[in-house]
Amino acid sequence: MNAHIGDDAALYALGALDDAERAAVDAHVAGCAACAGLLGEAERDATRLFACEPQHHVAPPARVRVQSTWTRWRATVSAVAAILIVGFLPSLYLWQQNRSMNAAMNAQAAAMHRLASASFRSADFSGRRARVMYARDGSWYVVIVRDARRALRVVWMHDGNAIDLGAAVPHGNVAMLYLPHSHVMHRLALMEGGRVVAEAQLAYESKSQP
Amino acid sequence: MTARAATLPPPGFGPLLRRSGGSVQVSSADESLEEGFAAHRRWAFDAAYRRYFPLLYSSAYNVLGNAEDARDCVHDALARVWRSPHAYTRARGAVRSFLVVCVRNEAISRVRASGRRTRLAERLAAEPHEHDELRITDTLERDRVRAALAALPPEQRTPLELAYYGGKTHTEISRELDAPLGTVKSRIAIGLRKLAAALGEP
Repeated sequence: MNAHIGDDAALYALGALDDAERAAVDAHVAGCAACAGLLGEAERDATRLFACEPQHHVAPPARVRVQSTWTRWRATVSAVAAILIVGFLPSLYLWQQNRSMNAAMNAQAAAMHRLASASFRSADFSGRRARVMYARDGSWYVVIVRDARRALRVVWMHDGNAIDLGAAVPHGNVAMLYLPHSHVMHRLALMEGGRVVAEAQLAYESKSQP
Repeated sequence: MTARAATLPPPGFGPLLRRSGGSVQVSSADESLEEGFAAHRRWAFDAAYRRYFPLLYSSAYNVLGNAEDARDCVHDALARVWRSPHAYTRARGAVRSFLVVCVRNEAISRVRASGRRTRLAERLAAEPHEHDELRITDTLERDRVRAALAALPPEQRTPLELAYYGGKTHTEISRELDAPLGTVKSRIAIGLRKLAAALGEP
């Protein structure tokens, strides 16, 4: 600890110390109650003097904006975040678009391959220009909807339940859903906005319908 | 905190309280204010700020000479106080004089840094009619200070005037008066004590 502040208290209170000397006094009084008391007295005396100076009457601003570390960095952090968002979101969107398009193209290619290499059955949907092509043993299905502007849900109507199988998403004006691994289903339906818009009855060769 | 502290304005009610007329009424809660301030409580800081702002602003204005700088200076000084939680301890006494001296030192620092020393001297020694907002009591108060200063023996009065009106550091004063540093310091200290005693309680 440095020496006690003594007469420096008065100099401090009057503003007659330079910045470094004042910092030394601050550091000392933080740990020395006696000197803090001495300084407090000098400050009271000096304030008695300052209070005799002209007083200017102003309303205080709402409050002191005390900058925390976060406040000081907030502008920087926000700017970086904004740049990341502005730069990143379009890329993310394009990447997502690209991925879904790739997935659709892959599904389409796989479906084509299935249709070209294996024999299959087909059934038309009532109420919509749509058709389902499916394996004779029900192991795969390809649903194709023409003139589709929006995605349609393809559901399996089973025991009074509508079980969602996936969405037929339009590319151009044809929507398609390929189910590569499936099982025997006798009734399929297309749903749009939560409503059944078309249904198809599927027949199989050997097994009887439930 | 005691029940008394609960009657103090919570932080964030500045505008409401301000409209109810000038300083915030923290009736006889000085004790709590100092305690809260020492404990680095936000409410105490806000209350002290609103209560003493006119005095702090005037202290800064009287050194800096314009409203914008004065506001900045008060703001910066208080923000610095808030950022150093151990700057004020209970042993220091009144928060009011602690803050006034903080703000004034900040203002003097700014003037010294910008090399406008002569303006500081002019401003502090200026005749009151320069200021628009002056009340008649300001002139009387100023005359009282001058009278109290005049009553001091010259060896105490001169260094005190150089510090107070001249905005000079003790090193500069010692050089100017060609007197030892220790002597200058003790004369200023004694002079200040006498001056405050002569001015009496506010």
